[in-house]
Amino acid sequence: MSLALATRSGRGIIATSKALKPLAPFSSTVGNPAENCDVVIVGGGPVGLALVGALSASDLVRQNLRVALIEASDLSKVHNWSMPHDMYSNRVSSLTNASQAFLNAIGAWDFVETSRTCAIEQMQVWDGISDARVTFDASEMGLPKPDLGMARLTENLNLQRALLRHLKHNGGIEMLDNTRVDSIERDTAENGGWPLVHLNNNRTLRARLLVGADGFNSPVRSYANISSYGWPYEVQAIVATMVHHPRGAFENPNRTAYQRFLPTGPIAFLPLSPTTSSLVWSTKPQLAKTLLDSEPGILTSMINAAFRLPAVSLQYLHDRILDAVNSGKPLVHSELTEEILWREKSHAIDSNSTYASALDRSSTADVVPPIDSDVVPPLVTGLQPGTVASFPLRYNHTDSYLGEGAGARTVLVGDAAHTIHPLAGQGLNLGLADVECLGKCIDNTLLHGGDIGSYTALLPYAQERYLQNHIMLSTVDKLHKLYSADAASVVWARTVGVEVLNELDSLKAALMMAAGSRPGSGAAAGLHSSMGWDLAAKGAETLVAGSHIAKMFGSALNDTLSGALSGFVQRATKNK
Amino acid sequence: MNPVRVQFIRQKLLECSYDDESIPDGVSSAKMLNPLTGLHVLDVGCGGGLLSESLARLGARTLGIDASRSNIAIAQSHASADPKLSSTLSYLHSPAEPLLSEPKRYDVVCSMEVIEHVNDPAKFLETCAELVKPGGHLFLSTISRTPLSYLLTILLAEHVLRLVSSGTHTYSKYVKPSELIDFFKQYRSPLEQQGEQQLSRPWINPNIPRPTRTEAEVRGLLYNPLQARWILAPRDALGSTECNYLFWVRKPKL
Repeated sequence: MSLALATRSGRGIIATSKALKPLAPFSSTVGNPAENCDVVIVGGGPVGLALVGALSASDLVRQNLRVALIEASDLSKVHNWSMPHDMYSNRVSSLTNASQAFLNAIGAWDFVETSRTCAIEQMQVWDGISDARVTFDASEMGLPKPDLGMARLTENLNLQRALLRHLKHNGGIEMLDNTRVDSIERDTAENGGWPLVHLNNNRTLRARLLVGADGFNSPVRSYANISSYGWPYEVQAIVATMVHHPRGAFENPNRTAYQRFLPTGPIAFLPLSPTTSSLVWSTKPQLAKTLLDSEPGILTSMINAAFRLPAVSLQYLHDRILDAVNSGKPLVHSELTEEILWREKSHAIDSNSTYASALDRSSTADVVPPIDSDVVPPLVTGLQPGTVASFPLRYNHTDSYLGEGAGARTVLVGDAAHTIHPLAGQGLNLGLADVECLGKCIDNTLLHGGDIGSYTALLPYAQERYLQNHIMLSTVDKLHKLYSADAASVVWARTVGVEVLNELDSLKAALMMAAGSRPGSGAAAGLHSSMGWDLAAKGAETLVAGSHIAKMFGSALNDTLSGALSGFVQRATKNK
Repeated sequence: MNPVRVQFIRQKLLECSYDDESIPDGVSSAKMLNPLTGLHVLDVGCGGGLLSESLARLGARTLGIDASRSNIAIAQSHASADPKLSSTLSYLHSPAEPLLSEPKRYDVVCSMEVIEHVNDPAKFLETCAELVKPGGHLFLSTISRTPLSYLLTILLAEHVLRLVSSGTHTYSKYVKPSELIDFFKQYRSPLEQQGEQQLSRPWINPNIPRPTRTEAEVRGLLYNPLQARWILAPRDALGSTECNYLFWVRKPKL
């Protein structure tokens, strides 16, 4: 860097200017009212709020940086959000212990209304076609406090409100809500080309670092000109808050999360309280639309059926509902109940069995339940009004988390950087891990006097998060694809995969660890979690590879052994 | 490499401020977070201003000097975009020697990756040393003269990978850590005491084989190609100072 100096001073050439010239003070272009701001965060969702939460908790940031958050909606509504204790919002996230540990470390978890959250003690996941089942139990995980569960279901609004209260308590952050970003432009080259964020209230912020926490359609990402790749899944996720009877005295409490992988997409039952749970059901868009448009009883019955009836009957019911709508005479609830009852009879499901859903058995709630009543969630009796909604799902990952060149001094977090299928409940957890890492990266840069907006300062964030997110995104994407298949050979392979998995405690522990369940701090925890990620990816790879091999064998054996084996597989599947 | 340099400077100053206070608890928390605040710092051979900017951001009143006019122009234009730097950072197009005639002396003098390009390193060291206040600090970084450093910095960097232009480095000008230590075992700086010129004690006690922790320190800089990041080697790590290293020495108060 100083070759020129060296050669000159070596020759003893002395420059003439001796006066110490102070640097010209910074001045922006005349007439430009841009306010200098060190960190400008666009987007006040849970991820954006968690980032300002982390920043507001850091002494270094408080002493050195001016931080502003821009959010189009009215955050005071979130700040004052409240609901009766027996009602729940329909947007719920399963916060892993790692996410909780982060929120605890920044001091935000104290503001979460924990009575509205539910620790998941067990997870049951099964194949919709073969019924192969894997069970995760928090008590097997070697957690320091097993009663904390493997994750905690928390309403997004509960978390957002907690983060806002935490911010109010800490202070020091400019919260610009009810404010929209009109446009983002690049400052002139002589001013360093910093992003100028024009707001709809005629203010302009000149950002040292511009953070995009602004979701899938991120304006910050467009400004930074970061491309991304991904694809929409041909599925729509239905969410709702479900009401049901409490579990009886002979059953486990309602702290088990259920997920059934149907060929149309997974359906998940996430417990919130003894009598309330949250639904996430990914299914074909047309069916989702029809279910949302029909009378409420239809959706309730279909939810119960989706956890209980064999896949072939579900397919029949889906077709029946769609046909009825297409012919202009939508099914009424009693017709559907009759259909389900008939299907149950044809599968020899006794009306007192766990798998029976057509008849209302509320009057018999206090009799001894069937011995296997824990294998399916409790019967849903109704949906909390106003909570049924749906949204499309897609896979998306940006090519980079950092803007370069003309888009320099930008960084993406959360959904702006990646969107994921909700089947593993990881979307928000990935976003929180992003902001935890970015917060540490900013702290570390401040400690060493670096420029927090520079590419080199942000590189550790991208290095740490990109690969980890990518592993999780791909794993979940492949799981989705694997379980969307209903070819017999694939089903056989994944059945064997899942059932073997259920026996292999070490692999299972790795998968659970991958769900970020092990709370902890410091390097050791980081090591554990990264190990878990790798093992999780390997597990998924094995499943996929297994299905390929099964396909391969399937075709080869068809030729030689007249399909004896595949016939066996098909029979085995049908018997189940 | 820059964050590691700042890390070393910061750690060393923090360590000294602990040593200087009679009760360690007396070090205020602000100073613990940022031991550079308010110090007068001179960066000799500042180049594009990478280190100067970092030190200025940490609150040091920093002067970056460089004998190349274009380097100073680059550094100034780069810093002018950052509104935080205008109050604490200034640049001057000059070699180090003319500053001796000014009365100002500095709490910290840094000269990173300069001495291995200098024709008369002893003279250069003297100049830097004299610009330090009594009790102040001198930080250097350079490359040791070893087969390893030849392999990495000249053969590999200049001829094979062509990361830097050929001729950037001259092997014979590289300086070993022991040579810097030996220099400061002999070097006595002039002290002004009631008008009469006296010489200080040597900066490093020549009667002890190795400098004590409060006198000087040599730390290796290691590059981790997997992370594309430099790390500060632990103290006395075997072989860590065979190539790039940082050197710190403190001027005696009396």
